[in-house]
Amino acid sequence: MKKLIGLALAVLVASFAASTASAGPKVAASSQAVSCNGTLKIAIVTPLTGGAGFLGAEQASWAKYAVATLAKPLGLKIQLVLGDTPVEQGAAIAQTLAQKYVGDSKVMGVIGPATSGGAVASTKTYQQAGIAQISPSATSTQLTKAAPTLTGTPSFFRVVPGDYVQGPTDAHYMIDKLKAKKVVIIDFQEPYSVGLANAAQAVLKKAGVSVTRLSAPNTTTDYSAYVTKVPSDADIVFFPTQKPPDAQTFAQQLLEQGKKAKVFGSDGSNDSTAFKVPGSYVSNFAPDITGIAADKAIIAGWKKANPGKSVGSFGPPAYGATQVMMNAIKRACTAGHGSIKTKRDVLRQVKRVRINNWILGGTFRWSTKSNDPLNAKFYIFQIQPNGSYKLVG
Amino acid sequence: MDTFIQLTIDGLTLGSVYALIALGYTLVYGVLKLLNFAHGDVFMVGSFIGFGVLQLLGGTSNPIVPIWALIVLITLAAIVGCSVLGVAIERFAYRPLRDAPRIAPLISALGVSFFLENSMQLLFGAQPRNYDTFSLANGALYLRGIDIGQVRLPLLRIITIVVAFVMMFLLWFLVTRTRSGKAMRATSFDREAAAMMGINIDRVIVFTFVLGSALAGVAGVMFGLRVPTNVTIGFVAGLKGFTAAVIGGIGSIPGAMAGGLILGFAESYTQGYVSTKWSDLFVFLILIAFMIFRPQGLFGRADIRKV
Repeated sequence: MKKLIGLALAVLVASFAASTASAGPKVAASSQAVSCNGTLKIAIVTPLTGGAGFLGAEQASWAKYAVATLAKPLGLKIQLVLGDTPVEQGAAIAQTLAQKYVGDSKVMGVIGPATSGGAVASTKTYQQAGIAQISPSATSTQLTKAAPTLTGTPSFFRVVPGDYVQGPTDAHYMIDKLKAKKVVIIDFQEPYSVGLANAAQAVLKKAGVSVTRLSAPNTTTDYSAYVTKVPSDADIVFFPTQKPPDAQTFAQQLLEQGKKAKVFGSDGSNDSTAFKVPGSYVSNFAPDITGIAADKAIIAGWKKANPGKSVGSFGPPAYGATQVMMNAIKRACTAGHGSIKTKRDVLRQVKRVRINNWILGGTFRWSTKSNDPLNAKFYIFQIQPNGSYKLVG
Repeated sequence: MDTFIQLTIDGLTLGSVYALIALGYTLVYGVLKLLNFAHGDVFMVGSFIGFGVLQLLGGTSNPIVPIWALIVLITLAAIVGCSVLGVAIERFAYRPLRDAPRIAPLISALGVSFFLENSMQLLFGAQPRNYDTFSLANGALYLRGIDIGQVRLPLLRIITIVVAFVMMFLLWFLVTRTRSGKAMRATSFDREAAAMMGINIDRVIVFTFVLGSALAGVAGVMFGLRVPTNVTIGFVAGLKGFTAAVIGGIGSIPGAMAGGLILGFAESYTQGYVSTKWSDLFVFLILIAFMIFRPQGLFGRADIRKV
């Protein structure tokens, strides 16, 4: 029996290793010029399957809609290529996809990776190949950190502000508006939540707030033991998950154990269909795009193309990122008189793109200090008794 | 003390579900000497069946039957659905390989696991499904229960624990006190001799899969009643169930029950008193320790072979 169990464990480990294996960091960028009259490709790298599959499906649907509606007016033929990075398989799969897209002469840019972990694992490969990446949701601070630290990657951009904005925004709201004295922070052992938790923790501690830090594996489903560790006099549990139903479960289990603390989620849990325990809070990088007059036609068109689906918080930035990428491709085509010599030509144009009537409101421009959007900010919502999200800060 | 009681309740709830999953592993191993790695995915399918039937019955916001009937009906649906699935898996993935080298059905089991996970994703999508039992009777299943000191044992946890123990008792009764159970035990002891005594081995094996899969279905519903389910939950749940079965002594029914509860308590107390960060590491260290120092598990017998 020992032999059989040993054999079984070996097979399990081998199959897991095979599923997450990635090639070495060999990069071979194509230098062949590509005509802008033919079909060009944009890849979107996001978790289409797995526990965060809802996020990827939403982003992919908005990116597809952007290609379907914006490519033709720009005079481009764009094919959207889908790259799946299930969060359960770790970041290595993003690196494997990077190798694939670097080797494809038609891929002009990448939307994503959606998660900070995937971005951290693959940015160097894209950078060496001169491929622009625009993430609609990877918020880890270090990804776009500007000089003098230079830890950011020059080819990596994002259309949402980083954790250095969200974490402090959330923390200041807890301190100033909620008058929190005791806060529990939970991270999920992956870059998104760890970065966000660290950013909020630093501000809270500086303000003299008592902070208890807990850490849960990303595969956790039952949070009972974590709820047990929440002090009965804690005011807030900061819960930066990427899985809104988990925020719902945690809030319910707090009530189950009679704890008074409110759950404070991040943009990752901003989903009014899944996280709806009244009194809880969430932050997001857009006030609510359904309230932006300029977006009405876009939302109506997207809903027509995706019947039965509701507008979440992850999709619109993917639309915006795809819009920026297509504009950069268009600019590269114009500069190259109808052809793109290298993928680096597109990369050079990304920072020059400016979008009026930006899907998240106002005008989109890049910061001159980093590859982040200029003056982007986060908004705070409180969940109402009827489950709706009310803008409170 | 309150923390200890709360962690004990957490561990008991978690352990009850692990024990139900572990029983499925142990039953199949006991009869076929096969590690059925698709078992975790049968558990996942069970939780999805429960969710689907719950929606057919009006969901938790507008149920068309009383709460107790709702829980009974979704559990029965999961039992039936998972039993049929278990029979199909045995018939098409394992029976053709019954006399093949041991590695063949093991690989087949992994294949079935991937097949089920990906098929469910293609059919129903990747988004998590929440039974939303909190909406039933204004959260009564969470907010009402038995108070032990300052700690409340909520109704939903009582239901989970009671259902798990009732299922374990029924299984024990079936295996030790009925003709079918006797046939299972005989087949487990010596398949060829049992066949020569007139026992229909195929029928016993199918019955074993029905029992194991039904328990996985119950575990899936008990899990889904408390936390959101998705197509990937089977892997970790299956791994924990397998670990519980090995700790208890794979092939031993009391062992699987004990292993599940030990694992549940270990996970809960580690999270509560040691570190939330390292609880999985601790749990799997227990598995490694058993593999090194007591490979037959708590209740298993050492496998002695004549050479």
